[in-house]
Amino acid sequence: MLQLIRKDLMLQKNTLLIMLPLLVVYIALNASATILSGVLFTIAITMQAFMLDEKRQIHILFNSLPYTRKEIVTSKYIGVFCFTGLVLLTILIANLVIHGESPTWKELLFILCLTTLFFSFSLPFSYRFKSQYLLFASIGTFAAYLVVINVFIPNLHDLIREVVAFLLAMEQVQLYVLVGCALVIVYILSWLLSIRIYEKKMF
Amino acid sequence: MENVIELKQVHKSFPNFQVKDLSFSVKKGFVTGFIGGNGVGKSTTIKMLMNLLQPDAGTISIFGMNYNKHEKEIKQRIGFVYDENVFYEQSTMLDMRSIMKSAYAKWDDELFHYYVKEFELPIKQKIKSFSKGMMMKASLALALSHHAELIIMDEPTSGLDPIFRRELLDILHSFMQDGEKTIFFSTHITTDLDRIADYITFIHNGELMFSKEYYQIEEEYAIIKGATELLDRDTEKEFIAIRRSNHGFEALTSNKAQASHLFGDSVLLEKPSLEDIMYYTKKGAEGGAAINT
Amino acid sequence: MQIIISNSSNEPIYEQIYSQIKRHILTNELKSGQALPSMRQLAKELDISVITTKRAYEELERNGFIYSVVGKGSFVSEQNNEMIKERKMKVVEEQLLSAVQNSKEIGLSLNELLDLLTMLYREEL
Repeated sequence: MLQLIRKDLMLQKNTLLIMLPLLVVYIALNASATILSGVLFTIAITMQAFMLDEKRQIHILFNSLPYTRKEIVTSKYIGVFCFTGLVLLTILIANLVIHGESPTWKELLFILCLTTLFFSFSLPFSYRFKSQYLLFASIGTFAAYLVVINVFIPNLHDLIREVVAFLLAMEQVQLYVLVGCALVIVYILSWLLSIRIYEKKMF
Repeated sequence: MENVIELKQVHKSFPNFQVKDLSFSVKKGFVTGFIGGNGVGKSTTIKMLMNLLQPDAGTISIFGMNYNKHEKEIKQRIGFVYDENVFYEQSTMLDMRSIMKSAYAKWDDELFHYYVKEFELPIKQKIKSFSKGMMMKASLALALSHHAELIIMDEPTSGLDPIFRRELLDILHSFMQDGEKTIFFSTHITTDLDRIADYITFIHNGELMFSKEYYQIEEEYAIIKGATELLDRDTEKEFIAIRRSNHGFEALTSNKAQASHLFGDSVLLEKPSLEDIMYYTKKGAEGGAAINT
Repeated sequence: MQIIISNSSNEPIYEQIYSQIKRHILTNELKSGQALPSMRQLAKELDISVITTKRAYEELERNGFIYSVVGKGSFVSEQNNEMIKERKMKVVEEQLLSAVQNSKEIGLSLNELLDLLTMLYREEL
């Protein structure tokens, strides 16, 4: 299974060599958007890695190699953390070197939470449907989002920013633990669901 | 004799097609050719053998083990070749080598480089730029480099030129030398089989027609040619299917001895090709024994 | 050892191999004790399936022309002259028996048959 994760990292070598420096440049230009850039870069890099494997032929390849379907799915769920870790590390180092200060641990944790949440939903979706539908779904969601902020709540963006600021400002450790636990449970449920979906899949 | 693959009463249903009550075995140390027309269940069966599909009922055992409990052990010992490119489009042979190498415990770099050299494969060129023949050689090199005991191939010769088909048979002959290896491959190019296949497994419409030694087919089956007057309700029963024309009839029998006894010297008896057998079996299954032209 | 296979012949390939190896043995071209190529080796060289050579070897072994040692391969048997003679004798007997049967069917008497046989033997016909 470790081999599968290593394979994802290896295949993304080129993407990483482009995306991570890009992230550094982005941080150098704009120090304030750590969370947004962190989440976007993590999602972009990880999705790129996963979409490569979405082809029927590649499913056939890995299912013919000595791996179980459980391992194939699990490797993706662990892979998410590897890619997130790489992005967080880049953010940390780039901020330290360029701006001489590290982002708060809360910010980093927040990125981790958001990506975890994103993949909890997108991974089972990708296993159930094809990747291009995920793209359609994302575009659909994004369009809906645009409509919502423009028509109904023009200040949604500000609202979100406030909520984020509120969450980051919060001091209660208990609440963090609670949110953390909830996310872990969601992620595990998502993992179990993906395994169930993938084990029934036909190629 | 030891069986490497054993299928027992395997069923698999799809909305418009099903594999019914499929039971056969593949003997260790031999080459089994898996024949049948297009869309009769060859690929479905191969996918079930690779656990890409699970049967609805029945059991499949490979090396005496089943996929529920021993998926990884089984697949460690199988080399696979498909008729489509199952590799990453952007990857080279070197990239694929590292993926395969990390998957197989017995991967052998020396062997891999031997095959790469033997097949004249460019290892740094992207696989998607390979010709059909090169792609096949690449799949074969990757399938043979981890000391697999069983090679499963889906239509390996389709789309290959005759010269390379002959080369492929040579490679397979060499692979079989130690008597420990087994090959199971599907094909609809039956002329490849008489040079390599020890056993023939023939399916039609998701059902097994027969699975037997190649020479047994020649001994049991025959094409009978004769004058149409010889045909009547009784004699027609001897045939799997009959092809009539204005100039006589041609028919396939699965009981050469009896037909020879029945018709004696009044007919011509010929050795049937596998294509003859496939053709007449299909016609016979489609409705009655009569084919009029 | 030369073996020529015809794919267009009506004679099964295993029989072609069988009779050619047998001839090599009977003409002493293959000496007793001499090793034959392995079944798989021969199959590869003749570009035919292993089961075909296997069948030819089995047949040769059954008729006492060769013997096999597990793990070592197949070897030409000691060709005992008495044994060969005995075997041939049996074949002659069988052939004569069918000649007798055919003669009886068409009412050929023993004397007539003997005359015919004598002429055939002396190659007078």
